[in-house]
Amino acid sequence: MEVTDIRPMLAPMISFACAGLVFLMGKKPFWRNFWSLSAASLKLLVVFTMLPGALKGTVYVFRLVEFTPGIGLAFRTDALGMFFGIVSSMLWVFTTIYAIGYMEPEHAQVRFFGFFALCVSATVGIAFAENLLTLFLFYETLTICTYPLVIHEETPEAMKAGRKYLIYTLTGGAFVLLGTVLTYQLCGTITLSKPGILSLSAGPAALTWLFVSLIAGFGVKAAIMPLHGWLPSAMVAPTPVSALLHAVAVVKAGAFGILRVVYNVFGVELLRQMHLTTWLAYLAAFTIIAASFIALFQDNFKRRLAYSTVSQLSYIILGASLLTPWGATAAIVHIANQAFSKITMFFVAGAIQRKTGKTCVHELAGIGYQMPYTMGAFTVAALSFVGVPLFAGFVSKWYLSLGALQSGQWWFALVMIVSSLLNAGYWFPIVYLAFFKSPPGARLRIDEAPWTLLAPTLICAAYVIMLGTTVDVPAMPFSLARAAVQFVFGM
Amino acid sequence: MLLWPHWLALVVVVPLAGSVVTPAVARGSGRVAGRWAIGVMTVTFAIAITLVLRVAQTGPFSYWFGGWEPPYGIEFRFDEFSAFSAVIAFIGLLAVIFSQRYAEQALSPKRIPYYYCLLMLNLTGMIGFTVTGDLFNTYVFMEILSLSGYALVAVSGEKTAEMAAFKYLVLGAVSSLFVLLSIGMLYALTGSLNMADVSARLTAGVPKLPLIVALAAMTLGYMVKAAVFPLHIWLPDAHAIAPSPVSAVLSGLVVKMGVFGMLRMYQIVYRADVVDLSVLNTVLVWLGAISIVMGAFFAIFQDDIKMMLAYSTISNVGYIVMGLGLASQYSLIGASVHVFNHALIKSTLFLAAGAIIHRTGYRTLTDLRGVGHGMPLTGGAMAIGAISIVGIPPTAGFLCKWYIALGAFQAGRPFFGFALVFGALFIFIYYIRMVNAFYFQEPVHPEVARIGEAPVSMLAPMLILAALCLVMGILGRIPLSFIEPAVTRMLATIGG
Repeated sequence: MEVTDIRPMLAPMISFACAGLVFLMGKKPFWRNFWSLSAASLKLLVVFTMLPGALKGTVYVFRLVEFTPGIGLAFRTDALGMFFGIVSSMLWVFTTIYAIGYMEPEHAQVRFFGFFALCVSATVGIAFAENLLTLFLFYETLTICTYPLVIHEETPEAMKAGRKYLIYTLTGGAFVLLGTVLTYQLCGTITLSKPGILSLSAGPAALTWLFVSLIAGFGVKAAIMPLHGWLPSAMVAPTPVSALLHAVAVVKAGAFGILRVVYNVFGVELLRQMHLTTWLAYLAAFTIIAASFIALFQDNFKRRLAYSTVSQLSYIILGASLLTPWGATAAIVHIANQAFSKITMFFVAGAIQRKTGKTCVHELAGIGYQMPYTMGAFTVAALSFVGVPLFAGFVSKWYLSLGALQSGQWWFALVMIVSSLLNAGYWFPIVYLAFFKSPPGARLRIDEAPWTLLAPTLICAAYVIMLGTTVDVPAMPFSLARAAVQFVFGM
Repeated sequence: MLLWPHWLALVVVVPLAGSVVTPAVARGSGRVAGRWAIGVMTVTFAIAITLVLRVAQTGPFSYWFGGWEPPYGIEFRFDEFSAFSAVIAFIGLLAVIFSQRYAEQALSPKRIPYYYCLLMLNLTGMIGFTVTGDLFNTYVFMEILSLSGYALVAVSGEKTAEMAAFKYLVLGAVSSLFVLLSIGMLYALTGSLNMADVSARLTAGVPKLPLIVALAAMTLGYMVKAAVFPLHIWLPDAHAIAPSPVSAVLSGLVVKMGVFGMLRMYQIVYRADVVDLSVLNTVLVWLGAISIVMGAFFAIFQDDIKMMLAYSTISNVGYIVMGLGLASQYSLIGASVHVFNHALIKSTLFLAAGAIIHRTGYRTLTDLRGVGHGMPLTGGAMAIGAISIVGIPPTAGFLCKWYIALGAFQAGRPFFGFALVFGALFIFIYYIRMVNAFYFQEPVHPEVARIGEAPVSMLAPMLILAALCLVMGILGRIPLSFIEPAVTRMLATIGG
C-alpha cells in the first residue's frame, strides 16, 4: 500500500537544516552541539514513526519535483530503504555524541559538524531515494560533503588522501550517471519501486554494459577490489568521520546502491537468466580473502580496520550476487551487523588514540588494564567479526552460508570459514595484547576515556550482542529485512 | 495596435535605432547613455516576449518587408528557435543594468556612450540573426554583431585587450568570408537567398560537389564563431579580457550565433534531403566531444576566473555541437535547449565574476580565496551557476545534458554518452576548485573575506539570472516541450 507522506523527505531535510543552522550559529560550541544532537534525535524519531507502518507493509512516498514525465526527485520508504535509513539515523546519534567529545581540541569545528550533518542528510536521501536519479544526486552530494571531512587535518597527507578520494568516487559517480541514462533509454523509467524494471528484450550486450557501469559506479564506494584504493588512505580523517562515514555511510551507500541495482533495477529473475552475477560473486569472494590477508600485516590500527571494512563489505555484495533468498537476507542484515561491529571498533581506536596517543597495534600491550571497558567492547566486536555464535557477525555468516548452499555454490561457504579464520588471525592478537601482556615496567591503573567517548562505544557493543542473540532486536527489525527479501523474490 | 503587423520588424528596428542615436542622446554623459540603454533594451525585451508568446500559440510566422512576398522580398521568420531573441534581449537588458556601475569604474567617461552604442548594436545583430529568414541578411547581421564584438573586446583600451580583439578580428573576418562564400555558392546553385526557398530549390538536380563545398565552408565559418575545438583559440583571451558584462554577452550569446547558424543550415538541408549529412554529423560529434574534454582540461589549469569561465564555454558549446551532430530527436532537443540555458548560466557566472572583480580588484582564484564570505550573495549566485553548468539536478544544466546523453544512446552511439558524462566530471572538478577557493581556503588577502557586497545594480541582474538557472531546471519541461515541434519539423524529412 502506498501512502503520500512528507516524512521520507523530512528525514534528509532535518539533517540538511541542521547543517544550515550549524553553519550559521556554530561559532558557539553550545549551539553547535545543541543543533547537532537535537537534529540527530529528531530525525531518528521521524524515521521511527514510519516504522510501524513500514512493518505492516505501508510504503510512504513523496514526490518532490518532476522535471519531465518520469524524471524527477522523489522519496520512498520501502523495507530495504527503511532498514538502511534506521541504521544510519541511529548511528548518527551515537556518533554525534562521540564526535562532540572527540573533536573538542580540534580546529574548524563549524565546518566539521556542518558537513557531518550534510553527509548524514545525503545518506538518508540515498536510503529513501525513489529513483536512480535521486539516488545519484545524493550519492554525489555524499561524495562532495565528505571531502571537507577527509581533509579535516589539512596536512599534505590529508590533502593527498582527499584528492585520491575525490578522483575515485567522482569517477564512480560518473559511471552511476551513465548507467542511469542508459537505464532510462532502455526501459523508459528509472524507478526503484519495482522488483526489477529491465527485461531481456533490451538486448544482452546493452544489459551487460549497463550492469558493469552501475556495479563499477557503486562498487567504488563499496570498495570492491580493485576499486578499494581510496578507503585505506581516507583513514587520515578524524576517527568519528572514519567511524560513521567510512564504516557506515559512504561505504554502505555503495553497498546499498549495489543491492538496489541487483534487486530493483535488474531484478533477480533477469540476473539469473543472464548469469551476470557469477563474476561479481567471485570478485567479492576474492575481496573478502585478499583484504583480510592485507589486514593481517597492518600495524596501524585504523588501517587494519580499513582493510577489514573492505573485506566485510564484500559479504554484502557476495550475499546479493548469490541471488537466493538466504543470501539476500544475509546481505541486508549485514548492513546493520557490520555497521554496529565496525563502529564499535572505530570508537575504540579513537578513544585509545585520544587517551594515550597510541595508533599502532604493537603499542597496545596492556591497554586492557588501563581501559577495560573500552577493550571489552572491542572484544565483543572482534568476536562478532570472527563469527562466534551469539554475536551479530554469526547471523550474517550463517545466512550467507545457507544462501551459498541454496544456490548450489558450496565453495562460497568455504570462503566464509576461511574468512572467519583470517578475522581471528588479525583481531585476536589485539585482544591478547590488551589483556594478557603488560608493558614492561609501567604500573597500570584504570584510566578510561571520558563518558562521551565511552558511552556510545558500550551501547554499540551491546547492540552487537543483541543483534546476535535475537534476530528481532527492538529498533533493528529483522522483519524489515525479511519483508524486503519477500518483495524482491516475489514470495 | 497600429504597429502590431510590424511587430516582428520592430524587435530589430528598435534596438538598432536606439543604439545608433545613443551618442547623440547622451551628449557625452555616461549616466544618460546608461539610462537610455536600459529603456531601449526594456522595450526590445517586451517586444520579443510578445513574439515568443505568439509563436507558442500559433507556431512560426513571417514578416515581409514592404509587403514583398518571398522569395522576392526580405522575410523575417520567427520560429521556436527564434525565441532565443527574447533571451538575447533579456540578457542584454541585464548586462546593460549591470554595466551602469561597472562601466563607471572600468572605462574612461568619454567612451561610455560609445560602449552602450556598441553593446546594443551587438545585441541588435544577434536578434536580427535569430529572426531573419534570408541568407544574405544572416551575413549582414553576423557582420554587425561580429564587428561590434571586436570593438567591445577592445573597449577598455588596454594593450592586451587590443591584442585579443585583433586576434578575434582576424579569425572572425576569415570565418565571415567562408560564410559569405558559402552563401554565394548557394545563390549560384539555387538562384535564391530566402532560406525556405533555397531549401525547396535544392532538388536532386543540383550538382552535389559544389553543394558539399558550400556546406563545408558554411560549417567551417560557423565553427570558428562557435569556437569549436580546434578553432577556439581566439575565444579565451577575448572573453576573459573584455569587460565582464560584455563577457557575459559574448560567452552566453555571441558564440551561440555560430551554433545558431549551423542550426539554420541544418534546417535548410534536412528539409531538402539531397545530400547525405552523415560525414558532417560525424565530424561535429567528434569535434564536440573533443571540445568538451579539451575545454574542461584547459579550464582545470586556469587560475584566472574569467579565463576559466571562457574555457568552460568551449566545453559547453561542445555539448551543443555534439547534440547537433548526433542528430536524434532527443539530442537535438537537448542541444537547442542548452543554447538557451547555457546563455543564462554563463551570464550568471560572468556577471558574478564581474561583480567580484569590481569589488576586490583581483581576478585569480588564489587572490580571491575566501571571497564567498565577503560577498555571500554573489558567491551564492556563482555557486548556483557552477552547479547548473556542471548539470546537477534540479538546475538548468541537467535536463539538456540528460537529453543529449539520451540522444547519444538513441542514436546508437553510447561512446558519446560516455564522453559527455566524463566531460561533465572534468567540469565538476574545476568548479569544485572554484567553490573550494571561495569558501574553504584560507584567504591570501584577509580583506577579501570582509569585502562587502556589490551594488544593487550588479546584484539584481545576477540574482535574477541565478534564480532562472533554478527555475529553468525545476520547470525544465516547459522549454523542452516548447522547442520540440521545431525539432520534429526539422527532422521530419530525414528518412521520411
